[in-house]
Amino acid sequence: MADVEMETQMGLDSEEDYGELSDAELQEAFSKGLLKPGLNVPLEEPKKAVNNIEGLKMCLAEFKKNLPWVERLDLTNHPAVDVLAKIEGTLNKKQSSGEIDAEDDFQREMYFYRQAQATVLEALPKLKKLQIPTKRPDDYFAEMAKTDQHMQKVRKKLMQKQMAIEKSEKAKKLREQRKFGKKVQVEVLQKRQKAKKAMMTAVKKYQKGMTDKLDFLEGDQEGKKGSTASKSQMSKKGPNAKRKYKDQKFGFGGKKKGSKWNTKESFNDVSGFRAKTAHGKGGKKFNKGGKKNKRPGKETRRKMKARK
Amino acid sequence: MIDHSILLDRLENLVGVTVMALSWFRSYLTDHYQIMNVNSESSVLTKVKCGGKWKNKERVLVFSSRGINFRTRHLMQDLKTMMPHSKADTKMDRKDKLFVVNEVCEIKNCNKCIFFEAKKNMDLYMWVSNVPHGPSAKFLVQNVHTLAELKMTGNCLKGSRPLLSFDPKFDKEPHYALLKELFTQTFSTPQYHPKSQPFVDHVLTFTIADKRIWFRNYQIIEEDASLVEIGPRFVLNLIKIFQGSFGGPTLYENPHFQSPNMCRRLMRMEKAARQKERQMVKEIRLEKRKEVKEVLTEDVTDDVFVTPAEEKPKEVEHEAPRPSKSKKKKKHFQIMAKTGKRQKWR
Repeated sequence: MADVEMETQMGLDSEEDYGELSDAELQEAFSKGLLKPGLNVPLEEPKKAVNNIEGLKMCLAEFKKNLPWVERLDLTNHPAVDVLAKIEGTLNKKQSSGEIDAEDDFQREMYFYRQAQATVLEALPKLKKLQIPTKRPDDYFAEMAKTDQHMQKVRKKLMQKQMAIEKSEKAKKLREQRKFGKKVQVEVLQKRQKAKKAMMTAVKKYQKGMTDKLDFLEGDQEGKKGSTASKSQMSKKGPNAKRKYKDQKFGFGGKKKGSKWNTKESFNDVSGFRAKTAHGKGGKKFNKGGKKNKRPGKETRRKMKARK
Repeated sequence: MIDHSILLDRLENLVGVTVMALSWFRSYLTDHYQIMNVNSESSVLTKVKCGGKWKNKERVLVFSSRGINFRTRHLMQDLKTMMPHSKADTKMDRKDKLFVVNEVCEIKNCNKCIFFEAKKNMDLYMWVSNVPHGPSAKFLVQNVHTLAELKMTGNCLKGSRPLLSFDPKFDKEPHYALLKELFTQTFSTPQYHPKSQPFVDHVLTFTIADKRIWFRNYQIIEEDASLVEIGPRFVLNLIKIFQGSFGGPTLYENPHFQSPNMCRRLMRMEKAARQKERQMVKEIRLEKRKEVKEVLTEDVTDDVFVTPAEEKPKEVEHEAPRPSKSKKKKKHFQIMAKTGKRQKWR
């Protein structure tokens, strides 16, 4: 800044004039300490923008027309409070102070929208008082700023957009359904295979004589109820019987010679003796279960008939 | 001041208006009430027997210079649609100086003017001025969207009076206050203008953001202030405010304004600087390679592990040697190779 100071002292402000300075003057300045050694370049003051505040105010005062509000219909207001943002808690300090971020399109447009809203909310009661209508009655037909044709186009576009959204949603749903359906199908097939396997094993077991119950033929209803019970029973007896037999035959060193010969104990064991069967008198069991309806003889029948 | 009953009579008999149209006129003109508001005191509700008098004689001339593109033309048309108190004029020759605009306005009997100027088919400048003596302002217009855009779905009556909404920042600075007054007088439709509609169904907003003025136009749908944008929309970047109309001493100059030429120049310079940098880096690399490399002093222990290489044959073979017959049993594959057919495994 020493250079500028020097210039203003000398009353100079351009390079050409600077060159006209005599050496003596330069030497003087150098001795005073204003000039530093090296190349001194004159600095230009930055251009100041004109801001004639007094002029502006005067102009405004002259220019202003004091019209009633009805003629002007203008309002100055802050934007309406952003209800949604408040609820969400995203209201940041910048917005509340009035600084808009011009880059964030959505925020910016919402700010303008809210400003217009605030104006409308303030102005409508005023207009009502002044008897100026704001609502167009349904039978009032007049030329609109945009033609009907244009509005049809707008409507078409909106419909198209909606349709596109719906289509994409449908497609998504279908995809989800198909995935789910596939899962369900796989599950059902597996279930069927399991059921088949269970049935086959049950049949085989019956064939081999391990279970004597024909529960598996009754199907799903009983199968579900009895399956658990029969399962536990089978688990008790099933392999055990076979195992038992085999153990008996081959276990502990192989076949026992003379296992069917009588021993003292088996000879003296009379638990299997049924006296009545032995004497041939347990006849009732072997009968048909008593005479149910014995038909009377010929003579008796004839007599009965004659009596009637 | 015309009596409505007499007017209807004349329409029916002299002009020959049909029954249907006549009933429309009658329904509009009867049962009209009016209220007078003086110094915030309102009078009793009285029936209007004759239409209100149009007092505020504000007329705006909207026109442009040559060399504008389709968007500007549509914007001008939209402004004329929005403002029933506007008039149009032919394009001005660029040879004429700017103060000629004042004369054009006088001829057309307008006291405000919106003049569009297009430069280089790219930049659009807008002048808003109070014609005989008043202030004028020059703006750079950006981000123009016209009424015809399908994204803006609102609609309003042609010639209906707008509400004007200003940002409170307009009251804080004197130059903004002046602009506010200018906009209010230019854009507000006078009451009882013959081409205007009596309903107030749209609102124009002027907001200051990022040191620019943003203009939006919304339609009022419901009483609870639900709005839809109608358009047009644009952004104004203030350049200068003059005391006179299209001339005169400068009252205010926007320090943040950068002319579009300057913007483009800066972008080009940036690109050029980047190119230069890249070139310089390349050159430096080439220089480095060409440099004479330092010869390091020989280390005695370098030769310790060097073993003499085998002697290479003097004759250099150019063709590959023929493959020798291998002794492996390759019967199957040989058969395959010869016949090209698949044979059964044995």
